[in-house]
Amino acid sequence: MLGPPIAVAVGVLAAVANPVPSDTNTARVLIGALEMALPLTAGVACASLVGRDPAVEIQLAVPTPYRETLLRRTVVTLGWAALVAALTAAVLIATGWWARWPDNHGVIAGQLTWAAPTLALGGLGLAAAAVSRSPGAAGALVTTVWAIQQFFAGLAQQHLPGRMLYLFATTRGADPADWTANRLTLIAVAVALVALALVVLGRSERLISEDDE
Amino acid sequence: MRIEIAGLTKTFRGGVAALDGLDLTVPTGMFGLLGANGAGKTTLMRILAGIARPTAGRVTVGGHDLATTAGRHAVQRGLGYLPQDLGVYPDLTARQFLDYVALLKGLDDPTVRRRRVGELLEVVALTGQANRRLRGFSGGMRQRVGIAQALLADPRLLIVDEPTAGLDPEERIRFRTLLSQFAGDRTVLLSTHIVDDIAQTCREVAVLSRGRLAFRGTVESLTREAAGRVWSLTTAGPPPPDGTVVSALPAAEGGMRYRIVAATAPGPTAQPLEPALEDGYLTVAAPERSALNA
Amino acid sequence: MIATLLYEFRMQIRKRSVWIVPALTLVLFVLIGGSLLRDLFDPAERPPEARLAVVGLAVQIHALLSIGFGCLLADRLVRDDRLRVAPILDATPASPGARLVGKYLGAGAATAVPIAVAFFGFATAYAGSSGSWSALPWALAVFGAVMVPGLLFVAAFALTVPLIMPAPLFRVLFVGYWLWGNVVTPDLMPTLSRTVLNPLGGYPMAALFDFAGIDGDDQWAGPFPGATLNFLRPEPTPLIAWLSIALLLVLAAAALTGGHLARLAERTRS
Repeated sequence: MLGPPIAVAVGVLAAVANPVPSDTNTARVLIGALEMALPLTAGVACASLVGRDPAVEIQLAVPTPYRETLLRRTVVTLGWAALVAALTAAVLIATGWWARWPDNHGVIAGQLTWAAPTLALGGLGLAAAAVSRSPGAAGALVTTVWAIQQFFAGLAQQHLPGRMLYLFATTRGADPADWTANRLTLIAVAVALVALALVVLGRSERLISEDDE
Repeated sequence: MRIEIAGLTKTFRGGVAALDGLDLTVPTGMFGLLGANGAGKTTLMRILAGIARPTAGRVTVGGHDLATTAGRHAVQRGLGYLPQDLGVYPDLTARQFLDYVALLKGLDDPTVRRRRVGELLEVVALTGQANRRLRGFSGGMRQRVGIAQALLADPRLLIVDEPTAGLDPEERIRFRTLLSQFAGDRTVLLSTHIVDDIAQTCREVAVLSRGRLAFRGTVESLTREAAGRVWSLTTAGPPPPDGTVVSALPAAEGGMRYRIVAATAPGPTAQPLEPALEDGYLTVAAPERSALNA
Repeated sequence: MIATLLYEFRMQIRKRSVWIVPALTLVLFVLIGGSLLRDLFDPAERPPEARLAVVGLAVQIHALLSIGFGCLLADRLVRDDRLRVAPILDATPASPGARLVGKYLGAGAATAVPIAVAFFGFATAYAGSSGSWSALPWALAVFGAVMVPGLLFVAAFALTVPLIMPAPLFRVLFVGYWLWGNVVTPDLMPTLSRTVLNPLGGYPMAALFDFAGIDGDDQWAGPFPGATLNFLRPEPTPLIAWLSIALLLVLAAAALTGGHLARLAERTRS
């Protein structure tokens, strides 16, 4: 629960501490907090939703399907991240910082800046956790995917599929023309991953065997 | 190994006193510890095992002072401990888990260790399952692994907390017998709320009530505490409000036959009965109960 | 300590995720273009010298796989309490400090095995395909001087920091730190990267292996013009490089000591 606000705070700190004080650069760091730090916290939080539920047997024995409960937890987790992101974005728009980053894609569509990577990493976290039943492994996968795209931003976008799946297309994107397609692809991937998670979670006896810890 | 406890107090954050100035001496041999849930038994066991530290008071085990690191260390070298809430590593086999705990207990010689682990697997009847991962073990099997790990280093002091919970009747009887045979010149502190386990194994017993000593003596004297206070009453109506109902059976002639512990006869038709250990326990622990009901 | 080391190693190396996470990481890395992992086997692209190739490989493997390494170790210390094994272990005469060190070295070594396998695997394949067998001693030296100290540093914090915060929060902060403290260049924002406190091993790479990137135009150590925290970036010399390694190990020991004291304090309270 603390993750998203901390992510934003780190972004603001990074912007303030920026030794190259150009407005464009500061705006980029601020929007970057929404596109990079916040989705990471949401992804790792979703990766920790499955496994290690001390009441899992009770959950599986009640009439409400467990995957519905997990889906609700996911919605709450992502909803909280979205709330923090939307409020931050509103502040950035009101103070004019939003407009100072040239590739901001507008006030409305621009919200996909944080929405698409948040959904994609959230879906990845949930699916990885459902398959591995290990928050450790799922969290490691989310952070690794995130980090690879950070470390090797250029390489990751060299070819077309990589460019479509690149999480940080707003602030580190190679080609602004691909932006809309990239965002929609990420959301589609998120939907597919959540669907995969739900299918896997439907097999309840997988959840009561002890996880790989 | 004699245990001397003087003025032992343990207060948790928030001011809850689990132990409140407890004085108790535990001699060599089997010793029973009875008490309601929350009476402070588990806290006392944890302090004796060197896992928790007292807030005040003095505890010595075989002359070693538990307040010092050296003392705790000396006690732990000759200690077997079976906690109430037993956990195991699910990814190790029974044999590996025992081998690991044996190493931590200082059984460094591999031949000796292997033989000891083998013997104990035999004792708890798990030789056939020794190479299976613990994740697949039932509650009773895990409890048997717990018993085996407690006996590994041939302890001088064995502390077992609710050991028969989760065992089936046959396993329970076997475990009780095992403890009695093991005791000999060692000290075995058996904490339980299953009175029957104490009746079958211990000569001496203490009853804890809200962190204090409510009774200390032989099993027979605890039974005698209830002399003249145990009644049988058959009635079609509800049980009488005074006294503690020990059992309720449908009577052949209709109505219910109650076994009741009460200071005075609970009704004109009540018949006195010979006391049993459970009645004695309820007599000394009763103040706690009436306080709870008040 | 040895007992805990062996059993922690055994339990950790059996975990499927310890193998799957690094494997998936490498697959993803190769899929997005794989840079050096592919270039090493391309006679036209590969670095001219075995030393350069091996150090470059170490940087990429170390930077990437350390993230999973830290995340996978994050719950090892709190696990004993969660599995309720801690009371049994605490009631043994084995000292808690020795058990902590055993757990640190055992679980850390097990989690590092796939990283070592990947690194030496690629190094051997490179040596075979290029015929420069001197790559192998270089690989051993880089592994010992650059990767091992960095991993020891990461493992100490990954074990102990989750004592004071939930493991998921640690994972997020850790990957953020890893990016900020290793990859961000000092002219972009104040950072610990390229300093003597850099777990990626900039000083040993620059001073002991004379490495300045595959193409020779990266600065891995030494003062950065206009950057903050330059007092942590002295001119790279072998002495400073060894000092940097020692500093990482001292910090790791401090983290472990802090974790040990925190657990002892918790015990007296409970």
